[in-house]
Amino acid sequence: MERIHSLYLHVPFCTWVCKYCDFNAYAVLEGLIPPYVEALSHEIDIAGTELPIGPLETVFIGGGTPSLLTAAQVRQVMERVRAIGLAPGAEVTLEANPSNITGPNVEGWLAAGVNRLSIGVQSLQPDALRFLERLHSGMDAIAAIQAARAGGFADVNADLLFGVRGVNLAAWLDTLEAVLAEGVQHLSAYELTVESATRLGQEVRTGLVRMPDADDQLEQYWAAAARLEAAGLAHYEISNWAQPGYRCRHNLATWNYHPYLGCGAGAHSMFRLDDGRTKRRWNVKGPHAYIKQTSETARALDGAETLSPERARGEAAMIGVRLLDGTGSARDFPEQRRHLVGAGLLREDNHQVRLTRRGVELANQVGAAFLVEVASPQQRKG
Amino acid sequence: MSTPTHLTRAISVIAHVDHGKTTLSDRLLEYTGTVAQRDMVEQVLDQLDLERERGITIKAQAVRMLYKADDGNTYQINLIDTPGHVDFSYEVSRALAACDGAILVVDASQGIEAQTLANVHQALDHHLKIVPVVNKIDLPQANPELVREEIEKVIGLPAESVIFASARQGIGTKEILEAVVREVPPPTGDPGAPLQALIFDAKFDAYRGIVTYIRVLEGTLRPGMRILMMQTGKSFEVDEVGIFRPDRTPVEDLSAGEVGYLIANIRNVRDSRVGDTVTDEARPAAAALPGYRHVTPMVFAGLFPTDTEQYQQLKEALEKLQLNDAALVYEPETSAALGFGFRCGFLGLLHMEIVQERLEREFNLTLLGTAPTVEYRVKLRNGEEIPVDNPDHLPDPAEIEAISEPMVTATIVVPSTYVGNMMELSQERRGQFLNMQYEPGDRVVITYRMPLAEIIHDYYDQLKSRSKGYASLDYELVGFEEASLVKLDVLVAGSPVDALSMIVDRSKAQQQGRRLAEKLKTLIPRQLYEVPIQAAIGGKIVARETVPAMRKDVTAKCYGGDVTRKRKLLEKQKEGKKRLKRVGNVEIPQEAFMAVLSLD
Repeated sequence: MERIHSLYLHVPFCTWVCKYCDFNAYAVLEGLIPPYVEALSHEIDIAGTELPIGPLETVFIGGGTPSLLTAAQVRQVMERVRAIGLAPGAEVTLEANPSNITGPNVEGWLAAGVNRLSIGVQSLQPDALRFLERLHSGMDAIAAIQAARAGGFADVNADLLFGVRGVNLAAWLDTLEAVLAEGVQHLSAYELTVESATRLGQEVRTGLVRMPDADDQLEQYWAAAARLEAAGLAHYEISNWAQPGYRCRHNLATWNYHPYLGCGAGAHSMFRLDDGRTKRRWNVKGPHAYIKQTSETARALDGAETLSPERARGEAAMIGVRLLDGTGSARDFPEQRRHLVGAGLLREDNHQVRLTRRGVELANQVGAAFLVEVASPQQRKG
Repeated sequence: MSTPTHLTRAISVIAHVDHGKTTLSDRLLEYTGTVAQRDMVEQVLDQLDLERERGITIKAQAVRMLYKADDGNTYQINLIDTPGHVDFSYEVSRALAACDGAILVVDASQGIEAQTLANVHQALDHHLKIVPVVNKIDLPQANPELVREEIEKVIGLPAESVIFASARQGIGTKEILEAVVREVPPPTGDPGAPLQALIFDAKFDAYRGIVTYIRVLEGTLRPGMRILMMQTGKSFEVDEVGIFRPDRTPVEDLSAGEVGYLIANIRNVRDSRVGDTVTDEARPAAAALPGYRHVTPMVFAGLFPTDTEQYQQLKEALEKLQLNDAALVYEPETSAALGFGFRCGFLGLLHMEIVQERLEREFNLTLLGTAPTVEYRVKLRNGEEIPVDNPDHLPDPAEIEAISEPMVTATIVVPSTYVGNMMELSQERRGQFLNMQYEPGDRVVITYRMPLAEIIHDYYDQLKSRSKGYASLDYELVGFEEASLVKLDVLVAGSPVDALSMIVDRSKAQQQGRRLAEKLKTLIPRQLYEVPIQAAIGGKIVARETVPAMRKDVTAKCYGGDVTRKRKLLEKQKEGKKRLKRVGNVEIPQEAFMAVLSLD
C-alpha cells in the first residue's frame, strides 16, 4: 500500500446548519464535542499504528465548524497528529466560521500548529447572507480575515458563493473585490449548488425559490475568474484560485490521486493498493454512533469499496481533469481524449490534457467519459 | 384415471379485456379443488410475470379440472383461459378451435363491448355452445338485468340462460359448472380411431425441449408411440404425455376429447408448429385437421439491440419467443442509423410492447424499437408490385405508380353521448362511415372503414380519452386501398435517420412534419453540440427545430469525501445513457423513435 502523507479530520458540529448545506454537520450537539475529541484522538492513535502513514505533509481539519473547538481541543488533536509524524513545513489547515475568529482563538490555533486558515465568508451582501442563513454579517467576515492576518496567519483562504438569487453580477464582483482587498492568499468560489436533501433543495422543488439560470451563473463564474487572475491568483482548479506558492497542498493531493486518511464522523479515506487498485472507506456519519463505536471497537467504519485498477484509473482521470494546468491522469484513455478534444472540451499537449473554457463548463461530461461502464445488477445476473 | 368421453368437456372463457375472465377461472379452479386454497395466488393461470403485473392475460393457458356434478357423475373439464385484448384475438381463435363450449363473461356494469362481440362471433364460427355469465354483480354500479337483456337482444342468447356471478366473491361458480356439464356437448371423437391431435400452443423447456400443447380429437396418444407431424412430415417418439392441473402432470394416455401436452424430444422450434396435426406414424389419420387461419401481422417495427454485441442474443431470443408466440414474425434488417437488428411483425401495438418487454426481461436484452408501421403495397411503373413494411424502403417516387394501404373495419361500441366525438375522431383519421346501430342499454355500435395506419397511430388512446374511457374497439383487416401517400424523412444534425422516416397522407404531410420536429425537440436531450432537427418530404425541408447545446454540467466541489458519490452519480448517468442510441454524434432516446405515434 502506498504510504499516506495526508490526513483529514472531520468536526461535524455547527451552531446552525445552513439551508444549502449537505455536509455531515449537526446543530445543537455541541455538548458532544468533548467526548468527540476523545474519540477522534483515539482513532488517530489507532490509525497511526495500523497504517503506513507519515510523515504527514498535509493536515486538514474540516467540518462542520472546526472553529467551535477550543484552542485546547485543537492542541490535543494536533498532539496526536504529531505522534504520527508531521513533516517539516507541513500544511495544517483549519476551517473557521467568521464568528469564531477572535484574537485569543487565532493565537491558540497558531500555537497548536495550525498554519493555514480557511474562512467561510460566503458573501458580504446582507440579503444573500440572510438567504443563506449565515449568522455573521459581511463586516464580521472582513473583520475575521483582518484578525486572522493580524494574529499571524500568513496563508488565509476565503470561501465564497456565487449564483445566489438576488445577487447580480455587480454585487458579486463587489464582494470579490472587498475580499481581495484584505489580501487573502487563496480563494475558493463555489457556485451555489442545490442539493436535493437540503432545505434549499426542498424550496427549489416546491417552487418557493428559483435559482438563477445557467447563463447567469456562468457569467458570474467567468467574471470572477478574470478578476482573480488579474489580481495575481491563478485559477488552478475549477473552484480554486491561489497566489503563487499558496495552492492548497492537501486538496492537490486528492486531485493528484494520492492516498489520504480521514478520521472523524463520516470521514472518507482513500488508499492506493500495490496492485493498482484503489480502496475507499468511510466512517459512520452520526457523531453519537461515531463516539460509541470508536470507544468500543476503536473503529467507526461504515462502508468500503475497492476499485479495480481499470476503474481506479478512470476515477483518477475524472478527478485529475479538474486541475486546470493540466493532468497526466488521462494518459490511458487515448480514445476518450481524442473524442473530447474533437468536441472542444479538452486541449492536449505532451500527454497532458487540460479543460478548455467549454470543458470547464461541462467538466462532468469530461469526467464521465473516463469512467468504466460497470455492469448493472440486472446484466450481472445473466 | 381415464374419464369416459361422455363425461369430458372442453371449454374456453371469453370476454372483453378486464371483464374478469381470469378471476373467474381462478374461482373454477378453486371450487373444483384443482388448486388448493392455500396455493391459490391471484391469476393462477397467468404464468408470465408480465401478465400478473399488468393484470392481463397474454397467452392462452390450459388446465384440467374434475367436477362432481349434481347428477352424481364426476366430469373432466378442460379449461382454456384466453386473452381479451384485440391484439391477441389470434390466441383466442386457437384456443376456441380446441374447445366444444365457451363461457362468455360480460361485466355487469360495462355491458357488451367490442371484443365481446368479436369473441362471440369467433365462438359461433367454431360452433361452440355458449354459456353466458354476467360477472361483477356485486359492484355498486352493476346493472345485471340490463346486461342480461343486452345479451338476449344483441347476441341472441336467451335471457333465462344467463347466469349472474361475482368471481371475486365466488357467487355463481357452481351454477356455471352445472351449466357447462349440462349445456356443452361432450367431444364426439372415437378413442379407437387413428390419432388426430391439434397443436394449439408450444413452449420451450430448458430441460425437456419443446412441450407441445394439444387437444386430441380422435384416437389415443400414449408414451412410446411414434408420432408424425402431418404438415412438416417430421416424426418423433413420444416420451411423455400429460395434463395441466395446472402444473404439468404426466398421465398414461390422452384420448379423444382430452387436452394436455406431449414431450417428444423435439429440439427445433419449427417442428412443433401451432395448427399442425399430430398423428400416429404407424396408423396415420386420413387427413390433417383444418388448423388455423394463417395469422397476419398487422404492424411492423424494427427491434435493434442498443449494444450491437447483443445482436446474436436477440436472434436466439426471437427464435425462442416465436415458439410460443406464433403471431410474431421477423427478418434481419440493417439500418444506417441503428445498425443490425430485426424487422418484426406484430398483431398490434400491445403485442409489440409485450414482445419487446418479454425480450428484455426474459433474455436480458436492452432494445430499441422503432415506430410501428403497417405494410404497404407499392405498384411500380414497371408493373411489379412490392410489399413495403419499412418506410425507409419506399422506392423513389419517380418509380412509383401507386401505393395501397391496408384497410380495416373498425367497430366501436360506445354510449350515445360520445357518438359525436367518435365520429369526429374517425373522420380526422380518414375514416369512411359505414354503419351505426342503437342497442339496448344506451349502447351504439358504429362501424368505420379506415386505414390501419391511422389506428396504430394513437387512435385507441384518443378513442378512450374522448369517450371518458367508455368506448371499446375491435377491428378486422378487410383489404388494401390506394391512397395518396408520401414519405416523410427526418434529418438529425444534417444526416437522415432512416429509423425515423414515416409514410403519411400527402395532405397532412407538412403539418405532420412540423409536429414531428417539434416533438423530437422535446425528446432529444441536450448534447454537447447544438442539434438541428429537420423534416423533409422528397428532399424538401418542411420543418426545422433546434435542440440547443448543453449549457453547463459541472460540480462545484470535489474533495476527498465527495469522490465516491460523484463517481457513482456519473456512472449512473452513464448507465442511463445506454438506453440512448448513438446516431452519428447525437444520442437519441427510445421515446424519440416512438414520437410519430402521437402527433395530435
